[in-house]
Amino acid sequence: MSFSVQHDVRVHRQGIDRRCFLRQTSAAGLASFGALSFRDALNARAEEIQQAGYSVILLWMQGGPSQFETFDPKPDTANGGPTKAISTAVSGIQIAQGWNKVAGVMNDISLIRSMTNKEGQHARATYQMHTGYVPTGTVKHPSFGCAIAKEIAPEDLAFPSVVAVGRTVGAGFLGVDYEPFVVPRPGEMPGNVTVPVPANRLNRRLGLLDRLEGEFAGRGGENVVSSHKKLYDKTAKMVLSPKVSAFDIEQESQSLRDQYGNSNFGKGCLLARRLVEAGSTFVEVAANGWDTHQDNFTRTGNNAAQVDPGFGTLIADLKDRGMLDRTLVLWMGEFGRTPKINPRTGRDHYPRCFNAAIAGAGIKGGQVIGSSTDDGTTVKDHPVSVLDLFSTICQTVKVNPAKENISPLGRPMKIVDGGTAIPELIG
Amino acid sequence: MSIAKVTATLLLVVGSVSFSRGDDVTPKADLDMGNSAAVAAEVDRLIDEELRKGGLAPAALTKDEDFLRRVTLDLAGSVPSPKEVTLFGLTQDENKREAQIERLLLSDEYAENWARYWRDVVFYRATEMRSRAAAPTFENWMAEKFKANASWDTIATEIITATGDVQTDGQTALIFAHMGETEEIAAEVSRIFMGIQIQCANCHDHPSDQWKRQQFHELAAFFPRVNVRRKPKTDGKAGFEVVSFTPPRVGNNQNGNKNANGRQAFFDNPEVLINRLDKNNDKLLSKDEVTAANKQLARLFDRLLERGDENKDGKLSADEIKKIPPPNNQRRTQAEHFMPDLNNPGSQGKRMDPVFFVSSSKIKTELGDLERRNELASHLTSVDNPWFAKAFVNRVWSEMLGEGFYTPVDDIGPSRQASYPEVLDLLSNAFIANKYDVKWLFRTVALTQTYQREIRAQSAADLTPTFAASTPMRLRADQLYSAITDVLGIDQIGGRAQQARGALRGGDRSPRGMFNELFGFDPSTPQDDLVGEVPQALFMMNSPILNNLNRAEGRTRLAQLLKEYPEDKDAVIELYLLVLSREPSASELSICEEFIKETGERGEAFEDIQWSLINSSEFLSKR
Repeated sequence: MSFSVQHDVRVHRQGIDRRCFLRQTSAAGLASFGALSFRDALNARAEEIQQAGYSVILLWMQGGPSQFETFDPKPDTANGGPTKAISTAVSGIQIAQGWNKVAGVMNDISLIRSMTNKEGQHARATYQMHTGYVPTGTVKHPSFGCAIAKEIAPEDLAFPSVVAVGRTVGAGFLGVDYEPFVVPRPGEMPGNVTVPVPANRLNRRLGLLDRLEGEFAGRGGENVVSSHKKLYDKTAKMVLSPKVSAFDIEQESQSLRDQYGNSNFGKGCLLARRLVEAGSTFVEVAANGWDTHQDNFTRTGNNAAQVDPGFGTLIADLKDRGMLDRTLVLWMGEFGRTPKINPRTGRDHYPRCFNAAIAGAGIKGGQVIGSSTDDGTTVKDHPVSVLDLFSTICQTVKVNPAKENISPLGRPMKIVDGGTAIPELIG
Repeated sequence: MSIAKVTATLLLVVGSVSFSRGDDVTPKADLDMGNSAAVAAEVDRLIDEELRKGGLAPAALTKDEDFLRRVTLDLAGSVPSPKEVTLFGLTQDENKREAQIERLLLSDEYAENWARYWRDVVFYRATEMRSRAAAPTFENWMAEKFKANASWDTIATEIITATGDVQTDGQTALIFAHMGETEEIAAEVSRIFMGIQIQCANCHDHPSDQWKRQQFHELAAFFPRVNVRRKPKTDGKAGFEVVSFTPPRVGNNQNGNKNANGRQAFFDNPEVLINRLDKNNDKLLSKDEVTAANKQLARLFDRLLERGDENKDGKLSADEIKKIPPPNNQRRTQAEHFMPDLNNPGSQGKRMDPVFFVSSSKIKTELGDLERRNELASHLTSVDNPWFAKAFVNRVWSEMLGEGFYTPVDDIGPSRQASYPEVLDLLSNAFIANKYDVKWLFRTVALTQTYQREIRAQSAADLTPTFAASTPMRLRADQLYSAITDVLGIDQIGGRAQQARGALRGGDRSPRGMFNELFGFDPSTPQDDLVGEVPQALFMMNSPILNNLNRAEGRTRLAQLLKEYPEDKDAVIELYLLVLSREPSASELSICEEFIKETGERGEAFEDIQWSLINSSEFLSKR
């Protein structure tokens, strides 16, 4: 049986790199195994899975989107406010007004109306909804997307496997190989990717650099020199690769760009599709403005006008290109909003009952998981935790959620520490 | 008491534990602990003896140019100018290294450099992102302390016992960085000031250490009354302040525990209140019943109903009240610390009394916030706690030599194996004998020959540091920023955020702050784990700002240099002195001269040479 062990196992002055230790042991253990457990089977299929090329796109609603004004409207109730519901392509599923494009692709999307969580503060919830762990000062957990990329991203790709349009939570203790590459402004090339000199001059410079590094290497800096060279080779390969044009959304037709919308979020969604095509494993696109403590109804309406075309077109576009089967799209924010409308016609933070939307990569679309009570204050049936949601994604993109990464202090930490995949979602 | 006497006493107290290895490597008994040079010589003697036993030859002392760059980076956080390198090399005085160390220790840059280091130690682990706005305040405060050479125990005590406005009182940084969270503060105080990661014992007894779960929670019990709260707005700006929380007096509850938080008691045992207020004996609380008894509670009752009235009858039963989830901020206003009951996570847990785990020192129970924290600070900084001195000595040594007695610097303790424990003990005891004099320690370490050795290639097989040679280290972001601006002759690296990295950091939006976002790392990270990142390489390689400063024309430093040195050879030498603070070797010189010839265009060739030097791993390293 052939097995790919991460090639850069580093034996250094503190012993074998703890991050690599587990991979080694599981590889060694596997060789002597007759019957394979689920986990081993997944490990053994790692190569195959990498070739399957699953990707994940997270549409992150920064601020905490109101469930009432997105995918769990409660028209004609006190808590529902003035928001109306509209019909979708799936009979029996209604969502809030203003989400027409998403309504049109509801066949491919599943809504989860019974999300429930405890973190009600932005920074803590952002961290937890990205990593599956609550923040603590002593270990920086990797974001879920980075952990997935570590498992299934193709090796040696001259292109970032994790990209974030806007800020995000990083790779934590998984380290630089999986750190998100940040695109601050979609539609512009990311900073410093454009080479300011002709390609042959960059190559000439790199050649001179190589020769001049010899002195320092000979004087005792050889380890530093060789890891520096690896980094520069990788970076140069990326900036000189034709794939780097994936960042340039102007290469798409004007009509498709119009469909995605001219907002940062719309551009980000189009960019996400291009990046996934170029080989990225995890792309996050953020939409701001969901922290609607005041003036909730106007503001959520404006937000929908930007997010709906991006989200809806993304699903349709992925499907048109035959990419939806391998690309999971997840829509969510930190938490939901309070059912009771506050005196400033706003809604406040509410983690107890909120919603999320999920599509692609074999997720069964056109259904609603769980429900909230009529007044929206609590989950009526089928409560779904963040870990349940992450477990579902793991199963969908063929990552073992119980796979352990080793924290810098030597503590094994599962990719998803608990939770159960939602059977109804898995097709 | 004289220093010598203190030392003798200390050696009795601490030495009995520390020198217990029984090796024949023992420090001289008559060592003058106040004398940096004497202690440095003793450190070298101990290390040399070990090396000789192992048949290892130490590396030669560095050349002057390498020493100057190294010590300037270590003490002042910047690189020397070509003129300084040349002058230092020409100086004949045999005490010139010592004199240089003294000059650097007196500079403002020394204080600034180490203030930035400690800013990163604290804020890279912050759990409250908003606290990063207070990082500059902390940095300034630390710089003042280092400038005045405040002793390390004074600095630690002020941080542990801090109260005040986070925007003006820098010592509040550590508490603000964790929003006053009891357990986080306890964990960080232990990690930062003692290098002990006792928080691993938060949920279970420590897997690889001797600490027990109870000991962590007894440490946390020093902090439950610290509170970070919003400050009333001044000038339209909302701020935060660190204050002591004084619990309201609560009467005896049925547990006989008069300090138990009354609110918690209500949620744990709502039957008590229900029995008292329930006029119609239906075992349920109604709004009317509550209003009749207590107007204050009546105001809360609507909120409780909204969150807890499961059967929507407008009344609350005891069961419904018990199920109401506690608000997120509840722990922040608890008067005591409770160790959670792992078998029953919803319950209050076991009340902890403060005990300092190193010396098992108990303090009086039921003390107020500042009394508790002062007690902790005095136990923690006491000469009876060897880990306070060792943690600081180990950090300074690691940061200056590239390898510590313990690695990582924030995971030490009695069950970890130190390299050269007798050297660490000697330096720690001397640090204590010098009353935690910070500059004394820097001077002493810088004076050792061990510090002044050349770097040497290390084989991956060396699993423990030998200190036979120096180790190249990656520059911290602040050092690199200073180096780039010095080399390119600019005040600051302007332009916008270059290419930001992934993690949510936020905070300092100054040019230096933005640069740190891109190049910064947690200074407690072992050197082996520090490798460059793609966005950093992109910045050095391609950024328009550096590219413009790399031009051989216009008003750049390079253009000026090329004008001043019309001979290519002289220009190459000067460029090396400028960027790498050393002269090129003969082979480097010939590579460059050949390159200039091949390129055929002087300006273009020098642009490429400067680009290569600034993008070299040597420039990014301390050598």
